[in-house]
Amino acid sequence: MAGLATTLLALAVGAPVVLAMAWPFHPLRPLAVRLSPWAAAPALLLALVHLVDPAAAPSLEAPGLFLGLQLGLDPLGGAFLLLTALLWVAAGAYAWWYHADDPHRDGFFGLFVLTMAGNLGLVLAADVLTFYLCFAAMTFAAYGLVVHKRDGEALRAGRIYIILALVGEVAILSALFALGTAGGSLLAFGPEVAEAWSRLAGEPGVFPPPEGLEGAYPWVTGLLVGGFAVKAGLAPLHLWLPLAHPVAPTAASALLSGVMIKAGLMGWLRMLPYDLAVPGLATVVIITGAATAFYGVLMGLAQDDPKTVLAYSSVSQMGYMAVGVGVILLAPEVAPLALTAVAFYALHHGVAKGALFLSVGVGSRLPRPSHHRGWLWTLRLGVAVPALALAGAPFTSGAFAKSSLKDALSELGGPWYAVLDPLLLVAAAGTTLLLVRFVVTLETRIGGGAQEGSAASAGGPWGLVLPWMTLVAAGLLAPWWLATAFPPLGGAAAPSLLQDLLPALLPVLMGVALAWAIIRRPKVLGSLRGLRIPAGDLLVLLEALLRRLRLPGRSLANQAGWALRRGSLRLQDAVQAWLDTLARRDPRLMQSPLLGSILLALALLLAVALW
Amino acid sequence: MTPVLDWEFLPLLVVLSSFVPGVWIMFLREEQEALRSSLNLIGAVAKVVLVGLMLRGVGAGAVYEWRLQVLPGLELSLIGDALALLFVTLSAVLWLVTTVYAIGYLKDSPNRTRFFSFFSLCVTATTGLAMAGDLFTFVIFYEALTWATYPLVVHRGTPEAIQAGRLYLIYTLTAGAALVLGAVWFQVEAGTVAFAPGGVLEMAAVEEAPVRFFSLFLVLLAGVAVKASFFPVHGWLPIAMVAPAPVSALLHAVAVVKAGAFGVVRLLHSLFGIEVAWEMGAAGLVAGLAAFTIIYGSIRALVQDDLKRLLAFSTVSQLSYIALGVAFLTPMAQTGGLVHLVHQGIMKITLFFCAGVLSETLQVKKVSQMAGVARRMPLTMLAFTVAALGMIGIPPIAGFLSKWYLGVGALDAGAVWVIPVLLASSLLNAAYFLPVIRTAYFDDPDPEGWDDKGRSRWFEADWRLVVPTVVTALLALASGLFGGIPWSPLGWAELIVDRSIL
Repeated sequence: MAGLATTLLALAVGAPVVLAMAWPFHPLRPLAVRLSPWAAAPALLLALVHLVDPAAAPSLEAPGLFLGLQLGLDPLGGAFLLLTALLWVAAGAYAWWYHADDPHRDGFFGLFVLTMAGNLGLVLAADVLTFYLCFAAMTFAAYGLVVHKRDGEALRAGRIYIILALVGEVAILSALFALGTAGGSLLAFGPEVAEAWSRLAGEPGVFPPPEGLEGAYPWVTGLLVGGFAVKAGLAPLHLWLPLAHPVAPTAASALLSGVMIKAGLMGWLRMLPYDLAVPGLATVVIITGAATAFYGVLMGLAQDDPKTVLAYSSVSQMGYMAVGVGVILLAPEVAPLALTAVAFYALHHGVAKGALFLSVGVGSRLPRPSHHRGWLWTLRLGVAVPALALAGAPFTSGAFAKSSLKDALSELGGPWYAVLDPLLLVAAAGTTLLLVRFVVTLETRIGGGAQEGSAASAGGPWGLVLPWMTLVAAGLLAPWWLATAFPPLGGAAAPSLLQDLLPALLPVLMGVALAWAIIRRPKVLGSLRGLRIPAGDLLVLLEALLRRLRLPGRSLANQAGWALRRGSLRLQDAVQAWLDTLARRDPRLMQSPLLGSILLALALLLAVALW
Repeated sequence: MTPVLDWEFLPLLVVLSSFVPGVWIMFLREEQEALRSSLNLIGAVAKVVLVGLMLRGVGAGAVYEWRLQVLPGLELSLIGDALALLFVTLSAVLWLVTTVYAIGYLKDSPNRTRFFSFFSLCVTATTGLAMAGDLFTFVIFYEALTWATYPLVVHRGTPEAIQAGRLYLIYTLTAGAALVLGAVWFQVEAGTVAFAPGGVLEMAAVEEAPVRFFSLFLVLLAGVAVKASFFPVHGWLPIAMVAPAPVSALLHAVAVVKAGAFGVVRLLHSLFGIEVAWEMGAAGLVAGLAAFTIIYGSIRALVQDDLKRLLAFSTVSQLSYIALGVAFLTPMAQTGGLVHLVHQGIMKITLFFCAGVLSETLQVKKVSQMAGVARRMPLTMLAFTVAALGMIGIPPIAGFLSKWYLGVGALDAGAVWVIPVLLASSLLNAAYFLPVIRTAYFDDPDPEGWDDKGRSRWFEADWRLVVPTVVTALLALASGLFGGIPWSPLGWAELIVDRSIL
């Protein structure tokens, strides 16, 4: 079993890497593209093996590769691997049929496997730099998925995505420089990272912090949190999410929301110090997280595109997970519980959100509903299951995840619990409302993308429906397999499923009641229709502000560049004028190689004479 | 284990392997193309083989020394140790690929005999100064490099090229004069000009006359700073872009600018000694100047539309990483600086090769003409993408390793201010490279604006242009991907620092 797991570990990362490397070679490309949708299969197999036998913890080291690659599978990695591999396989199959007639299909799958390699790699990374390597590969390759449509909107979304991603990368890298200085280039997750942190923090009795880095500890943790917050979509760094999701191809949006933003979360969980409290930062993270949970709901309600609504819902849900991360930073003693809760939440949200995104594509490619009532009801059912889960209805993975997060909060106790518990309850009601909004916007789009002769009209879109249904089923069964995936929580979670019946039902009922109340009153609904916020909310304000100041980024750089140029030209002119006077005095000096050489020889003779 | 070759004269052979073809070609007629190309290629392959032999020997601990007495007390000395080999290997390998590239690039153009002759002499001078065992030998080859490069810069013979050549000479000759002056002065002060690990100056002597020694340092720095293109004496570099693409490639990756950067390494480490240099404030000055040049070059690159000018300013910026790294006392920073000598070389030569392929095949010279060019030139743009991402510092490409070692090394030395410089440089690099990549891949092509010379049988352009480009891009990727093995540039740089022969 151990040998099998190790082989699968190598294959899980190796398969997409090999396909990505084969892609540039023209004769190999058709084969590489054909295999690409299934490149995550070994990873899925590894996740299942790990699920069956959690004791199998394979690890691999390649000291010659990069600065020393380390891969491994631990419980946290196993949970994220299950989610990541499941979504990549489902999205791969879905994309294969979705892009069947796409002239840019080959390009899509080239970037698809490269992004996949990064994403699976970061889940399986066992040290800091391997994680960073994979994280960067995923981030930059995913740009190509975002701008796949190549129209103005997609390119704008891509630009915002890459600018924010770069800012995030830079923040992370600066924090890693400090960690590397404290602990060396090869920092395995776990004790080694913890030791580097305690060195940076300058814990009494251990080591003093490195020279020049005294007092850097809060900054370094802050940069790390902020850097990964870009990927995780924490407000106000979420700006790229609502822009990138609607323009990206459906499979790519499902991956972005389902697993890629979880990479930011994973970065937090892997790299932040668990056993050293960072109270100031923790407070900021918790408050930002809770605020993001509300902000996402409010912005999302004012959207018309179902994918934008879902993107804002993801922003909101990542806020919950950020609250969990804040709890870890606040109270090391609650960390194990909070860690499990957050991982749990990520898994639940990834599967449910992935299924909902895929349903948008299914809906738009369905034949006209008037002819196919069966399909329509399948769609409605397939949307209802993950939507209820996200809302946290009883007996769903959402109820499970929310109650485990609540457990962690109540363990924390004190004023935090007193404030956060009701607050998150209200936010959950908002989530329900937002999902109603999603269903409403989705209904208007059904059949919108069906074309004559496309996969959809030719006997049913099975290629799209099967991957989607797989995710829906995985989400439906989640409460059972989640318990197996998380042995520490398994015992406690099953009874709480019944205990928390009422608290779980409450926000759903509140949300539905509110939605029903609004929809019943055409006047209120009409006045709400006027309230539309462009996707990217703050960004639009920011861009308007920049336009008003007439200082868009590019021209600012231009001005700086020209100013520098003027300055340096003036300096160079001075130098050159001086050189020219020299040259005028003896024009041949500057023109004749012979004279120059003679001068050189003379100088050397002088050197000899001085010996 | 096979016995190590102990030929003392290996360094001389390495120098001669390009000198002999260079001189021979000078006497060939223009139409003797086959002989000329064969001589060039034989020389280039011979050099790679000889360097390979030396690498094996030095890896096992040997040092090759060859001396020739010129006058009593004055000798030419060539030393093949690990530090010299870092640079020699880079120039030997890149000379080989550039020769192939140049043969393809200059086919059917006039004055090729002159070109290839000086091309070989240029590399001769570079390998010579890389292995120079003392300042005297260094100066000889340093000046020779100036003269060997001039005909290459003015190769096209246009008024623009002549003007650029004039400027190049004014800059480099003045610097050469400063270097000679400094060398003589150094001889007077120290009694020797031989390079020695840890420097040859006594701390006590320097402390007695700090101003005099600082002036001496400034004179020598002025000598090497021009070729290393430090602000404000970088002006010649972007103007020398009129040279044919293979010349720019070699100029920016190996020959001239690296001679300057290597001069800074020698000045700080082998003459003054890095500890003395820190004590007298000289190393701090170099670090500050380098940091400023890094930012300055990047900002200037932002506003360029001409692809080669953009790359030239990028060189100004990237080159200063080397000086920045070796100016610090910590081993990691020094490793980062040294390894960037190689990393910058292979990444930048790739970028210039790409620029050359585009201008030679499609007459595309500006970024604004590059929309959708990746569809016509997939391999070239893939190579460009790898090298550009490496320049930004994205793992696992070579540039990231340099950046990582520099960043951690600077923090080790307590210089937190270096981190914002490195990161700002990364962001600026992204700001001028990523739009190029985006437009090449995702914008709609406008083939009307291209003057397409057509594809070759197997490749998107002449294979002699495409293959070297792809090879150097793979080298840039491999240097990063296999950074952990001892024979990688990084492994070798670590060996240099470990053996403390810097």
